[in-house]
Parts: sequence; C-alpha cells; structure tokens
Amino acid sequence: MKSVKKPLDWHDPEVRALHDKIVHGSFINEGMMVAFPMCFPGVTVPIIADESRITALDATREGVIYGGTSGKRVHLFVGMFRADMGAVHDMGVVDGAEQCVAASCGPAGFAAFVNGPGGARIVIRELQRMPFSLIQEWGFTRKPFRYSAVPAGGERIIHAATDPSGRRAFATTLKHLLAVEIETGAVEVVGELRGMGRLAVDARGAVLGFDEGDTLWRFDPAAKKLDRRAIALPDGDWAHAPKVWARRRGPGLLYTADGKGDIFALDEEGRFSGPLCRATLTPVGPMAVTHDGRVFGFCGDEISRMFCYDPDAGKVTDIGAAVSVIQRRRYGYVFGDAVVGRDGEIVFGEDDDSGHLWLYFPRIVEKTAKPARP
Amino acid sequence: MTDKPSSAYPVSWYQFTEHPESDSCWSLSVGPDGRIYAAACAEGSPGKSVKLVRYNEKTDALDYLFPLDQMVDDPADSGRATQCKIHYSFVPSMHDGVLYMATHLSGPPIDLPAYSPWGMWHDKERCFRGSALLAFDTRTDQVLWWDTMIPKEGCRCLLHDEERGLLYSLSYPRDHFFIYDIAKRKFRDVGRIGSVNAQALFLDRRHRVLTSNDDGRIVRYDPDKDRLETSPYILPHDPTYQTGWHSVLYDVAPSPDGECVYASTWIANPRLMRIWPNEGEWGRVEDLGPTTQPRDLTLPLSTFVDHCGGLVFGGDGYLYYCASRWKEGQTDESPRDLGKGSINMWGIVHRLNPATLEREEVFELKRPGQAAQYVSRAAIDHNGDLFFAHVGPRPVGIFRVAMPADRKKPNAHLPIRMWG
Repeated sequence: MKSVKKPLDWHDPEVRALHDKIVHGSFINEGMMVAFPMCFPGVTVPIIADESRITALDATREGVIYGGTSGKRVHLFVGMFRADMGAVHDMGVVDGAEQCVAASCGPAGFAAFVNGPGGARIVIRELQRMPFSLIQEWGFTRKPFRYSAVPAGGERIIHAATDPSGRRAFATTLKHLLAVEIETGAVEVVGELRGMGRLAVDARGAVLGFDEGDTLWRFDPAAKKLDRRAIALPDGDWAHAPKVWARRRGPGLLYTADGKGDIFALDEEGRFSGPLCRATLTPVGPMAVTHDGRVFGFCGDEISRMFCYDPDAGKVTDIGAAVSVIQRRRYGYVFGDAVVGRDGEIVFGEDDDSGHLWLYFPRIVEKTAKPARP
Repeated sequence: MTDKPSSAYPVSWYQFTEHPESDSCWSLSVGPDGRIYAAACAEGSPGKSVKLVRYNEKTDALDYLFPLDQMVDDPADSGRATQCKIHYSFVPSMHDGVLYMATHLSGPPIDLPAYSPWGMWHDKERCFRGSALLAFDTRTDQVLWWDTMIPKEGCRCLLHDEERGLLYSLSYPRDHFFIYDIAKRKFRDVGRIGSVNAQALFLDRRHRVLTSNDDGRIVRYDPDKDRLETSPYILPHDPTYQTGWHSVLYDVAPSPDGECVYASTWIANPRLMRIWPNEGEWGRVEDLGPTTQPRDLTLPLSTFVDHCGGLVFGGDGYLYYCASRWKEGQTDESPRDLGKGSINMWGIVHRLNPATLEREEVFELKRPGQAAQYVSRAAIDHNGDLFFAHVGPRPVGIFRVAMPADRKKPNAHLPIRMWG
C-alpha cells in the first residue's frame, strides 16, 4: 500500500471544528432515537441475545407494536409504549422456528410468518389486552399460539403484508401466493409465483410483489385476480435491488429502492416516478413513511446509517448512525424492519444480537411565524 | 500492615523516548521467552503507528523492535485510520515461542484531527483496514506472518487457547466476538455482545471463554454449544449509585493454580473480585470490594483518574495490582494531559494475600515529574520482577519493579497468562 496523504496542519483554526464534527457528527444529527430493550425493564429479563434479532414488525391502528425475532429461536412480542405502559412483552417462543419474516396485525388478531428446519408455519394469536398499568401493578399471561400449516409441505415463506382492512394478510412462499385470514388462520392459495423480496399493499388493497423481468406482479383480492408482470419497473439496477417497500398510511405513494440506492415512488395507478433521490449508502434497508410524507430508512451494511427523503424538499439527507442515550445507552448497527407508530414516530426493529426496538422521533420542522392580524 | 518498606521495591521508569508521540501503553505482557514486551501506542496523534518494545535485561534498557504499520503493509501515512496501538492483545504461544499480537484502531489518519469508526465505516479511503494479527518469533526475532484478523475493526482484547489453536477476540466498535483459527488462518464472527467492550477475555478449564457485557454480566462462549451465553447475575458494583452498566471486566489475572482469576472492573470505583469459573453452572464470584477512594458522587470523575489495572501474581504467590489515588478535588477533562506538570494523582501498588484476602499498599509507581496514576497492565518476567504499563503524558513508558529476593523466583511467569 502506498503512502498518499500529507501531515495535518495543527495550526489551521478549522482543525478543532473538524475534530468535533468527526467525533460527534457520526451519529443521529436530527430527531431522537431511543432503544427499548426486549423486556419489561426491571420486571422481566430481555429475550436471549441470539434469539432477539428483530426481523418483522407491524402496528395496530392504536400504535401497539407487534413483531417477531429470528435467531436460535423465534419469539413473538408486543411492544406497548403508550400511556403508563412502557414494556415489551415476550408472547412466547415458536418452537422449531428460526426466522420470522413478517408480522401482520388485524383489529383483534395477529399473525406471524415463520420458517424453520421443519418448514414454514403461520402463527395466530389474538391481540394482547392492554394491562391496567405498568407503573403500579400488572399481570400477564402467555396465551397459546395457534398454528396454520403452509401448503406444499410448509414451503418457505418469503414475506407477507397486511391488507388495509387488517382482516387478511397475503404471503409469498417459494412458489405460491397465499391469503391468510388473520383472525382464524385460514389459508388459501390464491396464485402461483416465485416469491422475491418484500410485499406491498397499496391504498386500494392491491398486493404487489417483485416479478421476473424487472416487473411487479399485482393481485386484486376482490377479484382474486393475479396479474403477472403487471407493472414494469423503471430504469434502474433491479438485479441488486433490496426489494423493500415503504408506504404512508391511507392514500399515498409506495416507495422502493434499486441496487444503487435510487428511490422510486409508485402511485395508486401503477405509475412509477423517479429516481427521486439516491440514498447515501447501499443497500437500502427497512424504511417507513411518517405522517408528513417524509421517508426514513437505514442504508449500508454492518454499521448502517439513517437517511431521510423529504418529498417536499426533493432531497435526501444523511441522518447518521443510530445511537440511544435515553436510559439505554447503545449503538444501533443493523435493522430488519420498520413501522410507523401512532404519532408518526418510526419504530425500527434491530436485527442484531440483543436486538432492541428503536423509536425514532423525527425533528419537527419549525413553522414560520405568521404575521399578527391587524 | 506491611512487613517491608516501599524502598524494598525499587521502581525504575523506562520512557518510550524513541517514540515521542506515544501516549499510551495498553499492552504489556511476558512473552513465551520470559521477557517483557510492551506496545508504545500513539492513538492521539494523526498518522502514527504503534511500536513493539522489549525490555532488555542485559542493557537495562528498552529495545525498539519495529513499528507495526511497516510489518503489516499498512503505512501510517496512508490516509487511513492507523495501526496505532495494540490493546490488551499480546498472547504467547508456548510450543513454538511465538508472540501473537493484534492491532487496534482510533489513531486518526495523517491529515485529520480525529477518526470515527462509525462515521468513516463506509469511507474506503479513511476506514481502518482492520486488526492485523502478527506472529512474532521470539526465538529469532522474526515476523513470521501477518493476517487481517478483524476487517474494518480493531481488536480490544485477545486470548489464545493454545490446545485448540484458536485466538479469541473482541472487536471495536461493534463489540463482536471473533474466533481465529491459526492453522487455517481464518476468522469467524460469532456475534455481537453489546456497545461497551469488555477489556479482557479469560479461559476456564473446559475451554470456555469468558468476558462481560454492557450490563456487567458474564458472557461465556461455549465451544461445545458454539454459542454466547449470559450469566444470570451482575458482577460486583456499588449498588448505592451503580446498576452494573459499564462494570465490564477490565483486567483479569489467573491465579497460579489455575483454579480462579482475580479481576477488576472498568467503572468508577473499580471493583476487585475473585471468580471461580469452574464451580457450578455459572461459577462463583467473590466481591473483594472497591479499589479506589470514596469520591464526590455528584461529579463523574475522569475514568483516567479513578482506575485500577495491572493485576499480576508475584513470585511469592500474592496478587499485585495498581489502583489510582488522587488529591481531593482533582478534576480534568483532558485525559492525555492528566498529571502533566503537577502531581495530584498517584499509582499505588497493592499486595493481596489470596489465602486471607488481606491487602496492603506496598509501593508507588513514581514517574519523574509526572503523575502515574493510570496503569493498564502488568506482567512478571522470568526473573520474577514486575513490570507495569502506563498511560499518560507523552512519551509514556513502563515501570520495572525489582522485587525483593524473598518475593521472586526463577520462571515466575509460569504458568503463563494466555490473554492480554
């Protein structure tokens, strides 16, 4: 290796400022992240380190977070951060499973999509009733899971997404598209296709997934109609695309990224726009759209960094590496899923040993003061 | 009550004069040849390398063996974060006389005032290339080979399981547990432990490797399970204001009989403890109490002031360790300049009787004109003399303590410590 750089001039007055920028500027530079351990702090122990890689999240309409872990074993959990809650409840272990690829919340039930050496399964449970108080007194039970078999001998599940009603989820396996009733666990094969990457459901309830030939397939649940190669992807590096999605609740755009980190938007008419911007690193990981339309996500391997795409400003911002200093002091490196909470905060699932739920509260943009009325 | 005056322990100071930018000596160990090796580290100056140093008992001086950057083809002026130090990462190999050493990061690139492994992780020109593992033959003074042991990260501490030919390490900043197979020259990342590196690894009789996590719990790698496990208990700490957070293992010395280890923690009022790792499911831990003086609990005193390290067994079978002492009101925000010009802090070496657990202060490590409160590691050479590594105003150096005749013995370094 060659020597290429010349010594630093310590007499340069900007050196101190540069020092501080390097040291402190590496981490989250706007908004606030809080890492919450996978337990009821002070009451239960966290989920075991190598069983707590959080890979699947969903939220109820009330903002209660449900999800699943991957690792030596799969745990399903509920995170309660409202009122006087503040706990993650481990709902139990899914025996024989090593990976949870998706979680879906309905109005009263919850489904988790898991894989293991013995095949894939769909785990069903009713939603957790919110306890009276987690500051004063409490009590929890572990309600048993119900299991639904996955067709074709437990064919590996790739991903799943919830429809807007919350009653059904749609899942892809290696070769099939499934519809799952979240409350009952009833599974129906509704199509044949090769599952690739994550699924999205648009505001009208159509299910979308990556198809062959740089296209998307589209499934209309009402008509039970699967259109292969229904939407052509725009020009981009789709061979290396991470196949991730983010969607704003209610009507709105779906966002995805290609292998170069370029972000594209898909509207409800199936029209792509973009590239809108380029994420600061590749690959683009989990991302979510908060209530004001900003997209927050992580990008980059190993020590990922948060980025923000602001569609109003039409630009992407590097937010920095994740760190939590409120109560739990922890660096966050890799994240497996993201979901938007009740008030627009983003909840990221840390896909790492001793994974935490990371709550990100975006910066509130200062409003320009209106002139006083005469 | 001490039975010998401190003058019975003559202390000599050996400064790293041939490495003026050296600001820390993080590694000091006895080699497989019974001689003392030290790392003259330069983490605070841009574009500098660590140099390997050895105490020469014939000349009563230091020999400067080589700068690491040149040996591992990663020059200090490359523009990358530098191979600036060796951090608790000397380990011996007794069957072939090799001393393994692994480098660590944080020294800035030559043209930058600081380095952030988080901020520059994805910067191909700036990112630390990785911890370089180097095999040094102490019989021939030749570097046999080197390899990148942990890509992009530094090695915070290293352990050698010689029977199995494996090197275990903790990476920084991601705090991952790595295993390096010496015969295959291959590394494997087992997983993440936390955010605050422990500063030591140690081995039990069943070849399990023990360290600690952010919460002060023991973390144990069991080769039979190929899994990191966490203890149900938290290591000793002061419950009046501490939770166990950051009570990670700092220095660990094996007792000569191999049945237990003595350890200090890396937190305010470092705690001394004795751990019997082979007892029961999770071993047995004895809290031997704080090592430093009470302090104002409303002020977070510098970790470079309130410190305990340099745990080593003497030839007399007693544990020696260095705990800091400071003048009331001592504060400082700049650890590198601590003790510069005025001596308000001291490094006091204690002697602990393993049979009774009684301890006594035996001598002070006096550095001419400077404070010497911070000692990272200590080692005993084949003559039974003790050596202590210092972190402080540059250039730093090491202390040699000529032990009283009745407290030393030949080959006192055996059985040798297998971790840094």
